[in-house]
Amino acid sequence: MSSNNMSDPRRPNKVLRYKPPPSECNPALDDPTPDYMNLLGMIFSMCGLMLKLKWCAWVAVYCSFISFANSRSSEDTKQMMSSFM
Amino acid sequence: MKAFYVLCAVLLVFGSVSEAKFDDFEDEEDLVEYDDNDFAEFEDVMEDSVTESPQRVITTEDDEDETTVELEGQDENQEGDFEDADTQGDTESEPYDDEEFEGYEDKPDTSSSKNKDPITIVDVPAHLQNSWESYYLEILMVTGLLAYIMNYIIGKNKNSRLAQAWFNSHRELLESNFTLVGDDGTNKEATSTGKLNQENEHIYNLWCSGRVCCEGMLIQLRFLKRQDLLNVLARMMRPVSDQVQIKVTMNDEDMDTYVFAVGTRKALVRLQKEMQDLSEFCSDKPKSGAKYGLPDSLAILSEMGEVTEGMMDTKMVHFLTHYADKIESVHFSDQFSGPKIMQEEGQPLKLPDTKRTLLFTFNVPGSGNTYPKDMEALLPLMNMVIYSIDKAKKFRLNREGKQKADKNRARVEENFLKLTHVQRQEAAQSRREEKKRAEKERIMNEEDPEKQRRLEEAALRREQKKLEKKQMKMKQIKVKAM
Repeated sequence: MSSNNMSDPRRPNKVLRYKPPPSECNPALDDPTPDYMNLLGMIFSMCGLMLKLKWCAWVAVYCSFISFANSRSSEDTKQMMSSFM
Repeated sequence: MKAFYVLCAVLLVFGSVSEAKFDDFEDEEDLVEYDDNDFAEFEDVMEDSVTESPQRVITTEDDEDETTVELEGQDENQEGDFEDADTQGDTESEPYDDEEFEGYEDKPDTSSSKNKDPITIVDVPAHLQNSWESYYLEILMVTGLLAYIMNYIIGKNKNSRLAQAWFNSHRELLESNFTLVGDDGTNKEATSTGKLNQENEHIYNLWCSGRVCCEGMLIQLRFLKRQDLLNVLARMMRPVSDQVQIKVTMNDEDMDTYVFAVGTRKALVRLQKEMQDLSEFCSDKPKSGAKYGLPDSLAILSEMGEVTEGMMDTKMVHFLTHYADKIESVHFSDQFSGPKIMQEEGQPLKLPDTKRTLLFTFNVPGSGNTYPKDMEALLPLMNMVIYSIDKAKKFRLNREGKQKADKNRARVEENFLKLTHVQRQEAAQSRREEKKRAEKERIMNEEDPEKQRRLEEAALRREQKKLEKKQMKMKQIKVKAM
């Protein structure tokens, strides 16, 4: 046991499970880019639809792509797909 | 005179018509040259106009893509001219020749010829007359999107390879020090997953646990957003490095009470502003570490000198000097509670929870242009982390130091309480009122009148007692003051 203590610092009995950090404020703090891009994309797509401006629609597509690229993996894929629409 | 007027009318008609449709009839300049001989003028004008009007091309545009081309046969026209000239000449002024009205007849002729010759508008099919130019916006956008997607795939793969390279080079060291290497918190049993958690396309986590001194260690590989083209372009302006952030949570009994940080000056200034504990306990500006043999690029923030002395032993200085370019910041604290929280209502009512933590932030060499083999260069830094964990356990403040540290912590707590005094008073007041209200409601709800009376009396007695106590206190204060 003593030799174990000296050479091996591992303690199997002191294992603590991983707890993901509480996400009350962290997502917003970390990086608001995907949320902003999502919002912008929706606004531009609405504009493009209502005012029939082609460039608006293209900008909306770009915004949704950027939002997807920056998104966290925990987010819903369904939401991603709907934003692409 | 009459001829002159007619000539003017003709000229006006010509002018208006040529502006609208006929490019050929730009001979207003010629018409300015007048002779006294009216007929000569007519001849000149008419000959010019005749020679210049072989083919008239009327282009009408229905929409951008389709054009209709209309050609008028000249012979028909001229015959028409003459015919109409005859008729019109008869009606308007007989003495004039037909030739005089050739040009003039063109205008009414065109309208009449329109009626005579049915215009066949031939629609040019869209795909035939298609020129790529008309779709340039779409092509541009699609090309941009394709470029974005390509960059996304390439960036994602590169980040993934970098993460894997890091893990492969560090796996052995970690497995020799920790029982649990890799855990995502979802399994029922605490078994090592042996791989990184991918939080994002550019952030990878690794949780290690099961060692003396520390509860656990969270390693976060924060790569650059190589998958986002916008970010890639922004980085061309301002080079940034990938970072490895390590957070070791210590056991309470294995770390003494002190706050200490060392790192680049810029990083320390930023941390001092952002971090709750550094701003409260280390109020001085970052000091140069040259006294301890550190390079100029590194500075020290410390709660007291004794901590710096204790921390800067030879091995630590060796680590810091050799790998100074890769070290962004090293932060040991027993009062770590994360960055300052900005709350809308002012101060929070309770001091935030603190944990004894060691934080390390390392920059990956290459400043953006990293390759998987660069990850091996970070291995000595992990050795430094392990060494720091053991050192933190061994390092203990002497009596003076401990007293100072305790005083500091008490001071901070007192300040905090003062700031929130008003809020806490209000909170206590509201709680008391709630209690009273609940009491009253209970009394009202009592059906039995006897019980009600008794409860009311009890409440009255309690209030009287409180008042008496207050009065006593006031008297005592007055006596003391005197």
